[in-house]
Amino acid sequence: MPTVRLNTTMGSIILELDRQRAPRTVENFLNYARSGHYNNTLFHRVINGFMIQGGGFEPGMRQKPTSKPIENEATNGLKNVKYTIAMARTSDPHSATAQFFINVADNDFLNHSAPNAQNWGYCVFGHVTAGTDVVDRIKGVATMRYGTHQDVPDQEVVIEAAEVVSE
Amino acid sequence: MSASVALASVQLRDPVFISDLHLAQEQPRTVQRFVRLVEELGSKDRELVILGDLFEYWAGDEEAGEGVGAVVSGALRSLTRGGTSVYVMHGNRDVLLGDGFARATGAVFLADPCRTELAGVATLLSHGVAYCTLDTAYQAFRRRARDPFWQRMFLGRSLALRRTIISQVRRLSEAGKKQMAAQIMDVTPEAIEQALRSAGVRRMIHGHTHRPDRHRIDLDGHSAERWVLPDWDLDVDPPRGGYLQVSGDELAMIDFS
Repeated sequence: MPTVRLNTTMGSIILELDRQRAPRTVENFLNYARSGHYNNTLFHRVINGFMIQGGGFEPGMRQKPTSKPIENEATNGLKNVKYTIAMARTSDPHSATAQFFINVADNDFLNHSAPNAQNWGYCVFGHVTAGTDVVDRIKGVATMRYGTHQDVPDQEVVIEAAEVVSE
Repeated sequence: MSASVALASVQLRDPVFISDLHLAQEQPRTVQRFVRLVEELGSKDRELVILGDLFEYWAGDEEAGEGVGAVVSGALRSLTRGGTSVYVMHGNRDVLLGDGFARATGAVFLADPCRTELAGVATLLSHGVAYCTLDTAYQAFRRRARDPFWQRMFLGRSLALRRTIISQVRRLSEAGKKQMAAQIMDVTPEAIEQALRSAGVRRMIHGHTHRPDRHRIDLDGHSAERWVLPDWDLDVDPPRGGYLQVSGDELAMIDFS
């Protein structure tokens, strides 16, 4: 199973990715990691009791360009439970690009339940194997409104590097 | 996530259908008329089916404990306590009606669309906005408002902030409507026919467009029909409102005005 380490300003998070259950999503995430896309991006949306989201904005809330959206593999049976990683997206199920989130609670309502836009679900593709304490610290930071964005940390939480530890 | 269960089909006996009441503090007479209808239904033991936009807005289920939300929820609660069923479908304005509202009222949610049989004819019930396919901006908003991730984020905010956001959206939407062609705000006939065809039914009942009518449709050589429910506003002159009543084999539109 591929392993990725996110070195953040609040500590390291190790992610194990499930290539068997979410092959396209894992490949997509690894491509962004290998290309350095995630280096110097933020956890820009932090909602305690829900999830922490990142991978799309540079410090100063500057949005980064991305590659094409990918197919949503949420039908794979992986559940949005605490400390799993899933792809963020718009309300179009097949719109995920680079941004991802780490669930900090069991978010059953994000699981696939029917093949329509409303119930497609959010694709889980891995889980945190070390650094859950880091995730817990991030979820607890104070947040504010920043332009049109809500839930932006007062003090930037930066992913300094995303390293592919093993393929 | 806000409403965890919604019926995709429902069995009804002698129901009354209403929609688009847009109940709000500013419409006291409309609220009053609704409460009266609920009392009448209780004494006749007729099921109440609300096909969307019962409320002008719904910022979250805390609304059931305050003002108009509490009055309406209380009225529905006495109806269901008396043994009369109440079914509620989400409209485009009260999409956040959730499990808390269902608990407060004893109402059961219907999916959109929802199948039933009336007077021996298989029938599709819908709010109707899904068939206004030309209104692409609204369809995009609707997808987002129904998305569980977005709902979780929104409902995590304070009630005050949610209300502020909703009133901003409403202002923008009212401004937008004035510029939009009437055609865009009505249903697209092809979308209706497609829905009837794929559900294998010959009748649809919906609201949303505020154009009460009974349309006869030729569906692939068979006769079909579409009933459009009236919206309510008893705080204007002349007042308007009404409902569709099913009694045995007969469907009748009852007009208040």
